[in-house]
Amino acid sequence: MSFPPRTLVVVVALLLTAVAVVVPPAPAPAADDVKIALVAPLSGRWARQGQLKKMGAEMAIEEINGQGGIKALGGAKIVLREADAGDSVEKAVSAAQRVLTREKISAGIGSWLSSFTLGVTEVAERLQVPWLTLSYADSITERGFKYTFQTSPVSSLQAEQALELVTDLAKKNNRPIKKAAIVGDNTAATVFFFKPLREKLLAAKGIELVVDEVWTPPLADATAIVQKLRATQPDIVFYGATNFPDSIQVLQKVKEFSVKSPIQGVGAWLVTPEYVKTLGKEMLDSIQTVVATHPMKGQEEFVKKFMQRTGEPFMTQDPLCTYAHVWLIKEAIEQAKSADPKAIRDALAKIDLTSGPAASSFYPNRIKFDERGRRIGATPLIVQWQNGEPYTVVPAAVATRPIAFHK
Amino acid sequence: MVLAELVQYVATGLLVGGVYALMSIGLALIFGVMRVVNFAQGDFMMLGMYLTYFYAMSGGVDPLLGAILTIPPFFVLGFIVHRGLLARVTGGGDPQRQMDAQLILTLGLSLVITNATTMILTPTPRGIRTTYATQAFALGPILLNQARSYAFAMALVLAAAVYVFLTRTDLGKALRAAADDPEAASYQGIDVRAMHGLAFGTGIALVAAAGGLLATYYPIEPSVAGNFIVLMFVAVVLGGLGSIPGAFVGGLVIGLVQSLTLLVLPFQLQNTGVFIVFLLVLYLRPQGLFGRRARTV
Repeated sequence: MSFPPRTLVVVVALLLTAVAVVVPPAPAPAADDVKIALVAPLSGRWARQGQLKKMGAEMAIEEINGQGGIKALGGAKIVLREADAGDSVEKAVSAAQRVLTREKISAGIGSWLSSFTLGVTEVAERLQVPWLTLSYADSITERGFKYTFQTSPVSSLQAEQALELVTDLAKKNNRPIKKAAIVGDNTAATVFFFKPLREKLLAAKGIELVVDEVWTPPLADATAIVQKLRATQPDIVFYGATNFPDSIQVLQKVKEFSVKSPIQGVGAWLVTPEYVKTLGKEMLDSIQTVVATHPMKGQEEFVKKFMQRTGEPFMTQDPLCTYAHVWLIKEAIEQAKSADPKAIRDALAKIDLTSGPAASSFYPNRIKFDERGRRIGATPLIVQWQNGEPYTVVPAAVATRPIAFHK
Repeated sequence: MVLAELVQYVATGLLVGGVYALMSIGLALIFGVMRVVNFAQGDFMMLGMYLTYFYAMSGGVDPLLGAILTIPPFFVLGFIVHRGLLARVTGGGDPQRQMDAQLILTLGLSLVITNATTMILTPTPRGIRTTYATQAFALGPILLNQARSYAFAMALVLAAAVYVFLTRTDLGKALRAAADDPEAASYQGIDVRAMHGLAFGTGIALVAAAGGLLATYYPIEPSVAGNFIVLMFVAVVLGGLGSIPGAFVGGLVIGLVQSLTLLVLPFQLQNTGVFIVFLLVLYLRPQGLFGRRARTV
């Protein structure tokens, strides 16, 4: 079967049209509205995460506008411009390009998957629009960019801290870690988490790496991976399967092959409500994951409001972070007294928040960025499934439940 | 132990390949009879998964039965899609223009189905919880996942039923005649347009059933087609374009190669094995494995 050039041209034109319709036509806002872009996957295999991010952004915008908008700009309202990052870096970049060039955007948020964020922040940097991201990959803030601000602890730091925490917990549980496994996909955040573990951290603790399996999503079948886990019985599995079907296949096999090794996830994709519906709460119990943030002690009322608003059974990192990012942009605009992207960027570079909705959504409750754009002191949390709900269990100061040890 | 491991890899590959095979024969049937490359095939599979999910959630229907129950509505849907859309761009006229129009139509259909599903059903992944998804039949050291084993068995039965239908029934023979030579078939009083509708309806029903079987162990989301559509096309081309037995074997070969690749290559290169085999087959046997009677069913 061969396609003549004309056919190809038509197919490509159709695909381009499809991409174009992804950015919906902008409703005309009032002249003084402040426009914020959210570039997140709203279609494709990470669409659920984009949907969760959007929920957080919309909640923050409703609160801000309901409380009188941005005071420094005479009560200007915030308007969200969303663009679909789709399921590839190319689509994410093109969505960012489109949303940032068609009208004046004051600041942007996105794009969940680190691989996407790496591309999208290049566009934001070039167009000089300040960009807030929850993505973990170290390289996002290693390129000397002036407009990128990363509120999450970077992957390598998360790896270091997660290893520290799990070895500590294992000792307390009288099950010291001697053998570890690395299982996950090759998306950027996971790669940066696994790299230091593989190269130095595990060896430094005298832990042997017995399984190291990384795939490109989608995963066809998890049998071979889980078979290796069964054969080697590691004391901990560092787990990074960001694509839901891949993750479900692995966890189903873990149960099928009766693998008992504790699972330590990497990221908030492991604590979404659909895991309970697909696998059942018994299977998830005591699986834990390291995340950039998660509802903490003191946020109960806020979480209840989110649940009422969205119908979600609980809140996780993705809406929480985006909610905080919108509030952070609002604070920066108040300080800059301007909706100009450059002025907002300068305000973000100088900002030092220790209270308010933005600061209280991260641990520790302080937002101040270093010269690379990384939040100073950013520390990951450990979230654990308990009876069908994910709770913050570490650090104890902000935990909503005590940690349950793996049986 | 090494032998046991090898057998496990082969068994796993065949089980995975069974469902690929069922997905692919629908595509092969449509191509074989109508010469239509249906880009929306994966999306109909996704809809089949959702219908099976709906059966399970609203009526407590086991997805294995649900998969079978997707066949009648999807046959009708396929028939209607053919009548309403595809029939306008098939059967007569400049073949090149028709080819263009068909490609655009099925690709457009695929985009519309995916995006409409995302809008209406939201991108939230759903899953049917079955006990057999996390249980295995143990044959000594070899573990066969129960959900995949059932899916495999049902895929075999459905594929055999299609084969019997095509080779042993008058309607099947008429369908093959319409595929082999539409003009001569119409001289024999065969309604070629109706045969095309029958082929499209059957092709869609088969892929929907494959989706239903897949849903016993695989989560359902609007973008799920993207994980399988390329493999379907590879299976169909590998087996010999349009050949039903070829597509079935093609599907099995893909599952097997995906699994056995892991013995020699890292996981990241799992599909590399598939495409190496694909290129080798195209190089050594351009008409595909069963391509001697290519473009027939």
